Amino acid sequence: MELNVEQIRVLSEMQGLKIPEKELNNIAIRLSTWLTAMEQIETEMGARMNEVDPIPPVFPREEF
Amino acid sequence: MSNSSVNLCYLSASEQALMIKSREISPVDLMEASLERIERYDQTLKAWITVNPESAMEQARNAEAEITAGRYLGPLHGLPFGVKDQMHALGFPTTLGTQVLDEQETRPPYDATVVKKLAEAGAILIGKQNLHEFGKGGTIKFPYGQPRNPWNPAHDASSSSTGSGIAPAAGQCSFAIGEDTGGSIRGPASCNGVVGLRPTHGRVSRHGGVMEAYTSDTFGPLARSVQDIAAIMEVISGQDPNDPLSIPRPVPRYTKLLDGDLKGMKLAVVREIAYVDGIHDEVRKGFEAAIEVLREQGAVIEEVSLPWAKWAVPLQLLTADADVASWFLVNYLRDRYDRFDVGTRTRLSASSLIPATVYNRAMRARRLVREQVLEAMRRYDALITPTNVFPPRLIEDTREKVDGTTDVVPRLILRRITHYPFSLSNVPVISVPMGFSEKGLPLALQVASRPFGESTIFRVGHVYQQATDWHTQHPDLDKTLNIAT
Repeated sequence: MELNVEQIRVLSEMQGLKIPEKELNNIAIRLSTWLTAMEQIETEMGARMNEVDPIPPVFPREEF
Repeated sequence: MSNSSVNLCYLSASEQALMIKSREISPVDLMEASLERIERYDQTLKAWITVNPESAMEQARNAEAEITAGRYLGPLHGLPFGVKDQMHALGFPTTLGTQVLDEQETRPPYDATVVKKLAEAGAILIGKQNLHEFGKGGTIKFPYGQPRNPWNPAHDASSSSTGSGIAPAAGQCSFAIGEDTGGSIRGPASCNGVVGLRPTHGRVSRHGGVMEAYTSDTFGPLARSVQDIAAIMEVISGQDPNDPLSIPRPVPRYTKLLDGDLKGMKLAVVREIAYVDGIHDEVRKGFEAAIEVLREQGAVIEEVSLPWAKWAVPLQLLTADADVASWFLVNYLRDRYDRFDVGTRTRLSASSLIPATVYNRAMRARRLVREQVLEAMRRYDALITPTNVFPPRLIEDTREKVDGTTDVVPRLILRRITHYPFSLSNVPVISVPMGFSEKGLPLALQVASRPFGESTIFRVGHVYQQATDWHTQHPDLDKTLNIAT
């Protein structure tokens, strides 16, 4: 997913952030990279992801 | 600086402790030597943000008096240490390595539990150590000075517990306490040539830390030997009513479980991490030599495949970073944006825009990646990889380049693939020195085990250190920093 600077500007304003113009592209690249990775993860693991709950791994309950 | 003083400061904490216990040296001798090294070398290294020499010396004199009177508290009594400036310690500002906070906002409300436990064990806090802003990594301009690698100051000392890796490597303290969310203890341990442990999540209280990535944050020690790490963990581990995520589980006597060999132990090299495309040839060679050493000590070593390990990197960023951003958005990012380092604020801003639906899906995927790691742990006692894919690079080459859309996902993964699969899984993982690059910069071996398997990785690391001498080699700072003697 490739987000452009205008989309980042709107999203940032929604979060109450005033990002300087010269930094919008940096943020667009970062977020686009992560969301692109997520698309690849969905392709590879999406069906299995539907079968589990999103439980944080902070109370280890394994047999260990 | 005298040779005996240098030698004293480069002994392991365990060796220093034996000399203190037998009264061959006094805590005052050790403290004076440590403070002298901070005074002499930290103008260049910038490992420390705040140091209180008067308080440290007073505590050292008190420790000397107590020990002389027969009231020896144990193997940390009289040892000087520092902590990453991301945890509170009364008497020192909590700067978090940032210019975002006003001075009154840096006043610590109480001691972090780890600081309190170490004080009760007789260890002496010298001061607070330099870090990437808020412990997040990616800092471009350090308000308290650019931290530098003691083996070559032009090279990186890693992030984000940077000073906590430099200081024990430079013999400025016996040990340090860092914080590891993604790899912030193991990276500095590896780059500076010391041992660093990320404990099982919940093993060490997080109370008194300022982190905000609750699913991944851990406090852990950095020191010059695995035995030191085991001794420190005996003190700082355990449930804490102030940390609801700390685990009510007995703390083993880790130091009693170190000796022996590796016969019968099954280790596995993680193929997708150890042999990832782009790994530096010198790292690969150093790692292959380390595998041979472990094999000679009796370990059975096989390969295991974790095809989802690579996804740990974006998944950690999409979840733990989003948790962090949700806190900062309300606190400071909206109204003090300009006071953040540009590296921190752009990363936090991007994280603050991750949709909740994506966060939910990423948390589901985290469970699956973790389950794949744990499944391997059921078959093997420990998993091994190099700690970093590159030897420490020039400082200017380590700054993250956010400049285009070509191959961004593989580049993102390569930088962090050795660390994130184990932090995402919240398993214990240790970094141990495993040699040097052609330029004389440290390389490191990483050993991970199942939750609460600290004893296993201590055994592997300790046996490896008994069979090698990498951890006994230390930088000659007058030479590397070109300081006139």
